[in-house]
Amino acid sequence: MVPAQASPCPFQRPLKVYAFDPSRGKTLGNYMTINVEYEELEPGPVGQHFVVIDYDASNQCYYAPVNLDDRGILLSAGLDPSETNPKFHQQMVYAVASETVRRFEFALGRPVKWRFQTGSRDDPRRKLLRIFPHGMQEANAFYSRELRALVFGYFASTGDNIGTNLPGQTVFTCLSHDIIAHETTHAVIDGLRQYFNEPTGPDVLAFHEAFADVVALFQHFSFKDALLNTIDRTGGLIHQMELRPEVASSQPMIQAELSSMNPLVGLARQFGEAMGLRGMLRSALGTPPDSRALDKTTEPHARGAILVAAIFDAFFTVYLRRVSDLLRIGRAGGTAEPGNLHPLLVSRLADEASKAANHFCNICMRALDYSPPVGILFGDFLRALVTADTDVVPDDDLGYRPALIDAFRSRGIRPKDVFSYSEESLIWNSPEQMYGKKLRCDGLVFDGVTQPNESTQTRNAVILHRFADQNREALGLARAKDPKTGEPVKIQVHSFHPLIRVGPDDNRPKLQFFAEFVQSRKERLDPQDSKSLEFTARGGTAVVFNSDGSVRYAIQKSLDNAERLRSQREYLEQTSENSGQAMYLGRFPSLEHLNFAAIHRGF
Amino acid sequence: MKKKAIAKQPDSSTAIRIRMYRVGFGDCFLVSLPVAGEYKHVLVDCGVHARGDIGTMDKIVANIANETSGKLALVIATHAHQDHVSGFAKGKAVFSKFSEVGEVWLPWTEDPQDSEAAGLRKKRFALAAQLQQHFALSLNASPQAVAAVTNIAGNQVALQFLHSGFDGKAKVRYLVAGDKIRKPPIPGMSVKVLGPPRDQEFLSKMNPPAGQRYLQLGPSGQAEVGNALKPFSTRWILNRTDKSLDHLRLSHEDEKQLDRQLADPALEELAFAIDQALNNTSVVSLLTFGGQALLFPGDAQYGNWNAWLQQDGSDEILDSVRFYKVSHHGSFNATPKNAVQKMHAFAAMASTQNVPWASIPRLPLMNALAAQAKNNVVRSDSLAVKGANKAPKGPVVSNLPQNFEKGEFWYDYFIPV
Repeated sequence: MVPAQASPCPFQRPLKVYAFDPSRGKTLGNYMTINVEYEELEPGPVGQHFVVIDYDASNQCYYAPVNLDDRGILLSAGLDPSETNPKFHQQMVYAVASETVRRFEFALGRPVKWRFQTGSRDDPRRKLLRIFPHGMQEANAFYSRELRALVFGYFASTGDNIGTNLPGQTVFTCLSHDIIAHETTHAVIDGLRQYFNEPTGPDVLAFHEAFADVVALFQHFSFKDALLNTIDRTGGLIHQMELRPEVASSQPMIQAELSSMNPLVGLARQFGEAMGLRGMLRSALGTPPDSRALDKTTEPHARGAILVAAIFDAFFTVYLRRVSDLLRIGRAGGTAEPGNLHPLLVSRLADEASKAANHFCNICMRALDYSPPVGILFGDFLRALVTADTDVVPDDDLGYRPALIDAFRSRGIRPKDVFSYSEESLIWNSPEQMYGKKLRCDGLVFDGVTQPNESTQTRNAVILHRFADQNREALGLARAKDPKTGEPVKIQVHSFHPLIRVGPDDNRPKLQFFAEFVQSRKERLDPQDSKSLEFTARGGTAVVFNSDGSVRYAIQKSLDNAERLRSQREYLEQTSENSGQAMYLGRFPSLEHLNFAAIHRGF
Repeated sequence: MKKKAIAKQPDSSTAIRIRMYRVGFGDCFLVSLPVAGEYKHVLVDCGVHARGDIGTMDKIVANIANETSGKLALVIATHAHQDHVSGFAKGKAVFSKFSEVGEVWLPWTEDPQDSEAAGLRKKRFALAAQLQQHFALSLNASPQAVAAVTNIAGNQVALQFLHSGFDGKAKVRYLVAGDKIRKPPIPGMSVKVLGPPRDQEFLSKMNPPAGQRYLQLGPSGQAEVGNALKPFSTRWILNRTDKSLDHLRLSHEDEKQLDRQLADPALEELAFAIDQALNNTSVVSLLTFGGQALLFPGDAQYGNWNAWLQQDGSDEILDSVRFYKVSHHGSFNATPKNAVQKMHAFAAMASTQNVPWASIPRLPLMNALAAQAKNNVVRSDSLAVKGANKAPKGPVVSNLPQNFEKGEFWYDYFIPV
């Protein structure tokens, strides 16, 4: 309870966390403070979005929950980083997960909701995402819709190359800033798009992994001290993979003479080393662009890395464009050698880097609203990025969009059904452009300022459903009756919401309304064999409406597209090999089974 | 019907003979090539799964000794699974007395000198041992998963015998896809080694995940019993009835679900995964003799096939195949559909039965193969074996396709050359 007297209501709750993970100790600005948006908390912590429950299923016990309102903790801005105190672990997962959610809410302009609403109605926490910071002893961390939870494992490090870990040392995945941001992102996306994680092809799971990595990586650019240090040691060229040693030497003898990896562009170092993976896990920019790499790469993380690399290529290109004048000024004033930059210049460069990182992260997050509801391909995401950014920032004087387009093109990410890589052709089409038919949905109630209440939402759902049903063809939806079986093909309406955004160009609010329509059909793996394994094929359309109800974009993945169905069959046939279930149990892996837990285990 | 044109008394100067023994669940093929009026023999695998054993192995080994007069030009042990090598242990006494064994071929993943292979093996054995131990203690482990780990363990005697080249008689080679065999052990026979590959993607699939409870490797690579970590000192552990947990305590069902899903992570899936990984180490060899190409893929599955199907010339290779040993007992995905479609004018043999895995062989695949091979396909379990009462019965075949012959506990297939 907040006392009735008028003490100022705090905006933020400062909490200490590791900027990366414990393996870096106190170096490189590894201790940092996150100013978490203030909310009332119960011990756990339990807040608006999360309930942290420190239950350990491997040891079947509970660890004592932290009370972040404890006077001592409040006065010291959170517990100090510690591997041995589980209360600090709870504080860190809470702080990083909250910060990740805040970034999404800022970019999307609306509150984040989780996918599930299960549990008894009396349970006030049934809508919260559970976090188990020490869920089990396993080298793994994952988001599970079924468990309504983020689960973090702990394990003893193994492997031949354990880097900075001691052999057998306990590694906590919940102390890796990257892993927390990554898993939280999975949960957020699942809340935004119900069928987004259904693996219809090699791009879908790879996209999920890549997106989660992108969010985690962009978060690095808000780590002030680490950023300043990196800029100083790279002479402002922060895309370089290596940091110069603090002391130059031809034969390094002491630590200060060793060059080290650039922490900004690598992920989850301790985890990667402890798993015996060499160096950093999934380092985003380790490879030069190869326009044919996509054809050869199917493993989700490896494929996702190509997408991550494309986005970061564009980001670094824009950053360098933003700072080219500063670097020239710096050179004119003496030197721009790594380790010799003027501290004021370093600080200015850091501002530009974190500003550009914020922009890119926002562009990526907003593009989710402009993505097809099912079966996303990397090329679709490029179109979503370009469309979303054009809608918010029509005037692109710093060339964000060309940078993205070039980076995607050089990695061979080709959008389907597009004539060229020009911005005009990449922007999603309206039904008018495709069919010469103007569409308008009348009667939707939204103002963009208040979140619609439940009865308005129900009414909007009915209106949207009728609208979609009447305009199936123009929206790219399948006909009401299946031509083969005569079965009715239903339309489900999902995730509809108004959105108000202020563009940086004219500062005028833009009001839009988003909705997605999804259709499903049962199919057999072998269309000729009625006993072969069954799966659900889905199609759908995401629609962006203008404030007057006219359709601005209809982003389509038709259920009737034979090519999509064929490639989904092919993909399922291939992936089932990895599951073992089909082969030994004669059971097709359910789509839920190809979940993040298994992917992160890297089976 | 004009079958058995060359049957009854096959002339060893005019026909290749491929003998598929009915081992139960496993593989044992004796390929006999006519060279200068007599047969030279290649033995491809000799093993049976402990949970699919129909008790014919001793007779089979005796028959091999008899047929070959103790002379094998070549032994191919496609991969280190029980159902492909156990006969080399069970029949060791007989095999040891063979007067000639030319060469023994194994996949590179079994090479004792190869450090990468050694690392993979170390992990595989440790994991299998731990899984076995865990399944033994766990009441609800599925028999399919238990069968998958059983297949990996306990093959040391057979493998040692193979590594030694039948006690020093044979030259031992460890093969990688693309290896050139300049002087094959049989004159007139040429060999293409199509698998196993050795690229990074393949290796990453070979590498089983480590670091889990029950599955931890000790510093020496030995499996360790129970690696339960206590991550925090006991002062942080609360009594379950502690008041500060009142608003956090999980319901009984919730806790059950978590214990099941988290504490006991997908171990069955892991068992399947390491079984499949080992299948993918199979030597895939294309033996060509007298213009006839015979494809022996061991138990190769998608990962192994994929590596060479993507290469130039794979279409021509498949088109040239006249005999196909059905991979991995006819299981789902062990013979890619596009590979079947590219084979024409061939016969196939599948050594299989639906024990211990009811889902093997996979009927749609067998049907597709039969259609593509114009019904020139025979399953080992179609053969009724005397004295093996419990042997699972496959589809009954009244008329064997042309050039197939039935024996006491084998099928023969003849290819005139």
